[in-house]
Amino acid sequence: MLTCSNRRGTKKNDRGRFLLTLACGVFLLAGVASAQFFLPPPPPAQPSDYGKVILDTDASKSGPGAVVFDHWLHRSKFTCRLCHVDIGFAMAAKGTGIRADSNRQGFHCGACHDGKKLFGGKPLFAACSDGPGGKQCDRCHSLGKNGVREYEYRAYTAKFPKAHYGIDWQAAEAAGIVKPVDFVEGVSIKKTKIESREDFSIKAGVTWVHPVFFSHEKHSIWNGCELCHPEIFPTAKKSAVQYTMFSNIEGRHCGACHLKVAFPLNNCQMCHPRAPAWAQQ
Amino acid sequence: MTTGITCKRMIVAGLLCTGLAVPVGVYAIGEPPPSASQSAPARETWQKEFDSVCSRSQDAMSFSEEELATLIKRCDVLLPQIEKLDETRKKVYMGRLRMCRGLYAYVLESKRNEKK
Repeated sequence: MLTCSNRRGTKKNDRGRFLLTLACGVFLLAGVASAQFFLPPPPPAQPSDYGKVILDTDASKSGPGAVVFDHWLHRSKFTCRLCHVDIGFAMAAKGTGIRADSNRQGFHCGACHDGKKLFGGKPLFAACSDGPGGKQCDRCHSLGKNGVREYEYRAYTAKFPKAHYGIDWQAAEAAGIVKPVDFVEGVSIKKTKIESREDFSIKAGVTWVHPVFFSHEKHSIWNGCELCHPEIFPTAKKSAVQYTMFSNIEGRHCGACHLKVAFPLNNCQMCHPRAPAWAQQ
Repeated sequence: MTTGITCKRMIVAGLLCTGLAVPVGVYAIGEPPPSASQSAPARETWQKEFDSVCSRSQDAMSFSEEELATLIKRCDVLLPQIEKLDETRKKVYMGRLRMCRGLYAYVLESKRNEKK
């Protein structure tokens, strides 16, 4: 009887172990799958391609070809706020509605590229001022055309301090290598200098992740207030909105910029200063 | 002799260029022009109001709830005027107004939450 009972117990134990192993396997696979799905996508292999925007409303169908816009060139000269607030470039693809005639009227690219405004002592070329096939067109409408761009990433950024990935823009500004301009006459409104906002830390939702260090000062100088509030960060009420890595990876919250232009989300230590080095991808 | 004349011509040309640069509106980005009132095109009434309302966004945190509510109302009054503009201007200024109004509403909400 005893033996029989033991045998029955062993069978039960075996089945239990099997089910437990199966459950663990399923959880592990689900974990790996979700991690693959929810990990920040790696940025492009070449930092020069990070923040590259292809503008192709109808230019490639009937006109001079798609425009290649390099964020690295423009962010070395202007604040994010100037272009995305004052000039009105949307943060989402196809949200601006740039057209050749809007540029010629002094909007969008034409807000600066009007042939009159000087930058570094030189007048900026007038956007969309040439007729079809004009020499100037290729400066912007450069997709798939070699040797038509005036600035090349490697040469242009040769003296810029480098980060784990691409340029360390904060260090570049601190060293006086870049001095982003925040005002364009006729477009920007004269404002008082932004009052320094206090930096703060944000406690992570899980215990094994160190708090985020957030430089409110740096963000407010580059972005102003209205670029982030309320459209990206919609409320100041604590815990009203969950800011998570998932939402960031989806391109919301920090991911609105740190997935496309500002240093990529994979650079863990830029936000979580005490994150282990292995976490840096 | 020839060099002297060329030099004089260059000086005259330089002086002319300097004198002409301001009236034709050539100025460096990031700096107000030498005479902003001369070179900046005349601003329409709605635009002056827009400048007046949205030039204060940097100071939003320092405003009282009443001041913020007034600024929001002024944004709402501006909206139908901006809606009448041509397509491009409408799009640009509606976006700017939306951000500006949104910020004031955001700060107002956060101030009200602080009180609770």
